[in-house]
Amino acid sequence: MGKRKSRAKPPPKKRMDKLDTVFSCPFCNHGSSVECRIDMKNLIGEAVCGICQENFSMTINALTEPVDVYSKWIDECERVNNQEEDDAA
Amino acid sequence: MAAVEEYDPMVDDEEEEITQEDAWAVISSFFEEKGLVRQQLDSFDEFIQNTLQEIVDESAHIEVRSESQHKPGPGQHSDFQETIYKISFGQIYLSKPTFTEQHGDVRPLLPKDARLRNLTYSASLYVDVKETIIKKGNNCEEVSEPEPLGKVNIGSVPIMLRSSYCTLYQMSEEDLTDRGECPYDQGGYFIINGSEKVLIAQEKMSTNHVYVFKKRQPNKYAYVAEVRSMAESQNRPPSSMFVRMLSRASAKGGSSAQYIRATLPYIRTEIPIVIVFRALGFVADKDILEHICYDFSDTQMMELLRPSLEEAFVIQNQQVALDYIGKRGSTVGVTKEKRIKYAKEILQREMLPHVGMGEYCETKKAYYFGYIIHRLLLCALGRRPEDDRDHYGNKRLDLAGPLLGGLFRMLFRKLQRDVRARVQKCVDNGQAVNLYNIIIAKTITSGLKYSLATGNWGQANAAGTRAGVSQVLNRLTYASTLSHLRRLNSPIGREGKLAKPRQLHNSQWGMMCPAETPEGQACGLVKNLALMVYVTVGSAANPILEFLEEWSTENFEEISPAVIAQATKIFVNGCWVGIHRSPDLLVKTLRQLRRQVDVNTEVGVVRDIRLRELRLYTDYGRCSRPLFIVENQRLLIKKKDIRALQQRESPDEGGWHELVANGYIEYVDTEEEETTMISMTINDLVTARLNPEEAYSENYTHCEIHPSLILGVCASIIPFPDHNQSPRNTYQSAMGKQAMGIYVTNYQLRMDTLAYVLYYPQKPLVTTRAMEHLHFRQLPAGINAIVAISCYSGYNQEDSVIMNQSSIDRGFFRSLFFRSYRDEEKRMGTLIKEEFGRPNRDNTMGMRHGSYDKLDDDGLAPPGTRCSGEDVIIGKTSPIAQDESSQGQPSRYTRRDHSTSLRHSESGMVDQVLLTTNADGLRFVKVRIRSVRIPQIGDKFSSRHGQKGTVGMTYTQEDMPWTVEGITPDIIVNPHAIPSRMTIGQLIECIMGKVAAHVGKEGDATPFTDVTVDNISRALHKCGYQMRGFETMYNGHTGRRLTAMIFLGPTYYQRLKHMVDDKIHSRARGPVQILTRQPAEGRSRDGGLRFGEMERDCMIAHGAAHFLKERLFDQSDAYSVHVCERCGLIAIANLKKNSFECRGCKNKTDIVQVRIPYACKLLFQELMAMAIAPRMLTKDIKTTKVQKKKVV
Repeated sequence: MGKRKSRAKPPPKKRMDKLDTVFSCPFCNHGSSVECRIDMKNLIGEAVCGICQENFSMTINALTEPVDVYSKWIDECERVNNQEEDDAA
Repeated sequence: MAAVEEYDPMVDDEEEEITQEDAWAVISSFFEEKGLVRQQLDSFDEFIQNTLQEIVDESAHIEVRSESQHKPGPGQHSDFQETIYKISFGQIYLSKPTFTEQHGDVRPLLPKDARLRNLTYSASLYVDVKETIIKKGNNCEEVSEPEPLGKVNIGSVPIMLRSSYCTLYQMSEEDLTDRGECPYDQGGYFIINGSEKVLIAQEKMSTNHVYVFKKRQPNKYAYVAEVRSMAESQNRPPSSMFVRMLSRASAKGGSSAQYIRATLPYIRTEIPIVIVFRALGFVADKDILEHICYDFSDTQMMELLRPSLEEAFVIQNQQVALDYIGKRGSTVGVTKEKRIKYAKEILQREMLPHVGMGEYCETKKAYYFGYIIHRLLLCALGRRPEDDRDHYGNKRLDLAGPLLGGLFRMLFRKLQRDVRARVQKCVDNGQAVNLYNIIIAKTITSGLKYSLATGNWGQANAAGTRAGVSQVLNRLTYASTLSHLRRLNSPIGREGKLAKPRQLHNSQWGMMCPAETPEGQACGLVKNLALMVYVTVGSAANPILEFLEEWSTENFEEISPAVIAQATKIFVNGCWVGIHRSPDLLVKTLRQLRRQVDVNTEVGVVRDIRLRELRLYTDYGRCSRPLFIVENQRLLIKKKDIRALQQRESPDEGGWHELVANGYIEYVDTEEEETTMISMTINDLVTARLNPEEAYSENYTHCEIHPSLILGVCASIIPFPDHNQSPRNTYQSAMGKQAMGIYVTNYQLRMDTLAYVLYYPQKPLVTTRAMEHLHFRQLPAGINAIVAISCYSGYNQEDSVIMNQSSIDRGFFRSLFFRSYRDEEKRMGTLIKEEFGRPNRDNTMGMRHGSYDKLDDDGLAPPGTRCSGEDVIIGKTSPIAQDESSQGQPSRYTRRDHSTSLRHSESGMVDQVLLTTNADGLRFVKVRIRSVRIPQIGDKFSSRHGQKGTVGMTYTQEDMPWTVEGITPDIIVNPHAIPSRMTIGQLIECIMGKVAAHVGKEGDATPFTDVTVDNISRALHKCGYQMRGFETMYNGHTGRRLTAMIFLGPTYYQRLKHMVDDKIHSRARGPVQILTRQPAEGRSRDGGLRFGEMERDCMIAHGAAHFLKERLFDQSDAYSVHVCERCGLIAIANLKKNSFECRGCKNKTDIVQVRIPYACKLLFQELMAMAIAPRMLTKDIKTTKVQKKKVV
């Protein structure tokens, strides 16, 4: 028998956002081209931009997640930039 | 002899003790002072007296800087570069309730006028506004403070009746009657646009409290600790923190270590707890462990922390930890410094805000965070059970005060925003700022009114509003009004399948009525307060904190974590403030001070010996109730105090507050109740003293005032509820609200839309003690009927009753029914206005069917006019513009009818007509119709034990059975109503009623007393009756003696509002809906009876095809269409000219008539509008197939 449609349910509660795994590239500025590979065996994390092929790698630990690798890359870029500025000055 | 002398003082001592009977003197003093809606009044008073000012004070100053304007043309250049405008709000003032008439007069307003004229009973709110103008030049600064503006009206606040700002506050009975009020009315509600509105208390979980739950496996987590933290006087939604321990076996199979992780606000992943500690500045493992475990010899707990320490091993300093948290925040791809700053801010401002939001709160936060984990581990180790969500100590009630407070805070902020925007505009345009024009009172006035009028709590069409917070006060009977004012709602989804929140919880003893709850969807979610509940309004925590300081509480700066294990932790409102080394003494002094009223009596003192905690509460919304204080198995209140209470001359001296101040009685809240030992009766204490070995306990701390006070308003009306099956008490609690009686003494002065009044209401012969305070004797809702339990002809089967027609003729259960109709002269545009008056058939369009003869020249039916269905009682017309009619000669009609006629199924007499002006100054009329309702077959009646029934037959007195004394019953109930329902209370009520009638006294049917059936039976026997209430009776029809003896006696019966005349309905033909042409719905529209899905299924099962077609088609919306046989679409038909045509096919011959439901025709037309062609093929389908084949 045809069951009558019940009143529309309220939209489900918004869950906490998941942590990002793709990022914008610091070199080519593409929105979501950087992906991070985490190699737990060799404790190496690598971030690669799929567009401009720029990459960065670092040693990691058990708690490392893609954001950590990416953040470290950003820090590293910052450091290099500042150094150049200092050198220029 | 010596022995006797020794014994004497003991006897004297015992005589000085009070008895259970004396407790009623105490109870009387309670109700005398507090009334029945104290929670509403206290809560509102707190809002007016403190919260309002706090909300105004907590708001920041408005500061406006002029922004440079780029206007073309020569502008006037001032000497000053920049002007800064500062506005601050100060002291508030509230007037008495007033009303501004349309012509500008401001008059004090009485509730009676507000009700009759559909006004709002509200008072204007004024605030001191200070403005400062700073003009900054290139190198000079000029500060000017114009004349203080003084009081500016910022809006009006609806005033709760009988609260301290109401005109009726503390008025004598006589004065109240003079002002057209009922002296028994308790207030506690608002009047919004003339309708009485109650704010229903809303239940919520308490904040700042650690809850630990075990998760049902398989689940990723094994245990979860949860805190919803909210800083005091803050409007933000609570910030919740979860600390979770992973399951040993993870959900996806495979095992992991039992890491403990926490959620932080705005951080997108869970953070290992050790990292949180390191981010807070506690880096060393030892420091961290000290904050969680307190006792390092507790190896089990230390072992549980090992995985967490190991997990966070890689992060070993604060900066790295902060960075770790910051990276997981909402912004990615920012520099390290920014991330660290962000994380610091989150920890400071967002994490556990109730502990502190300023700087240097890290120590406190770390301790509290550690405590949460400690509690989690205690549960994980099985040392403590998981927390109970449904424990009433974990619940808080939002009453009128906090509800209005939240709303007012929101509206006041909105007002400030508006003021800022307007000032900005003025300053930018270089205009003078006139605050009187800028502060618009309407924001607050209409905002409060909107929520109170609709019940949607919050801004209109905004998300997160709760519906049904404000309800129209139920005025059916006095008890229903009282009960409505003490109602309480839990905002959990009604569809929720979970039974737990609906069940009666142990901790609700004495707080919530165990019987009074609705049946069905809201069962157990809507509750009613027990009679003696006090809901705390909240007091400042500061005096407590100062006291603790004085009494050598050590705070975190002074102690090392190592001592915590030995000391007692002290919490104030859920916030850990320090530790204390001799909690015994501290608790004792605190209680002592509370009993002396040096500390607020509503402060909760909970000592958890096992957890080594002392929790103090000063917050609002806790349920508490008064109890006698017991020391050494003796009540502190003595006989002399009762005597003093009984002998005082005026109610002002002494009384309840004195009993509390003397430390005889204290308020104990739900959480504190867990730490007490309460004796049920005073006799239990006597037993404990005299035969300690038989006593339940030897260390009572408190004693119930009376166990019957666990019941609520409606259940307190039931006699002997302790002898009934419990659902029957619940049924009666619901039915008592539909009984007719006298709902207020001023009903003649009111114009309620619906009102029922019983003709000769009687106070019940069998009463309960609580009824005295519910004014049930003064405003009763029933009659002491002589009830026999017998079949007698069988016209009382299946819950019907036989009623004595002669009694009915003498006025038995006669009642009045009032219905008020209202109308107003609405204004349409500026010129056109409706007018009351007698419409004239010659010039009025659209006149009603009914008779207009009852109307006077003023367009109103005068009082005393008898009118019946569809008679017009309010005549009203509006002019119609002449040009709207067809051009050429003027139309006959100049006016359109807007009259109100009586409901078609009702009749009565015009009782009262009120003609006045409403808030908009429009002429406004209310007409009250009265009709007498005489009991007849089909009307509904009930006893006070959930035994309802309709009248199945009426017999005149000579046909009724009689006793030897010649008594005939008024009502005969079928005996089958009794055994399965087990309402023994009704039987006891009957025999006690018989005794009471004979002795001429009221019978006491209070529950939980030592009245026994045997005692009553003996008393009845003494009156010369058969002791169990049976009587020999004779058949009224035959005169023969009935073979069995009949149980007969007076039982209090109620007439319920459901009467046949309001329900009877039949229809053969009648009105149809305009759109679908199906029969209209509902009795009020003379609608059809629905042949529903199940009825349809039944006919299908029978194969009754023709019947089915008749029901669903011929009797519903049969319709004929003409269809072109060529295209199958609807053709044009003119039956008068007998011409048919399908223009598309240029076809005038091949057209057929098809009978389809009108709804089907509608569907086809809608489809055609969507460019879908529904073709009705009337010819044999074969032809089309053949055609297709040909094509192939």
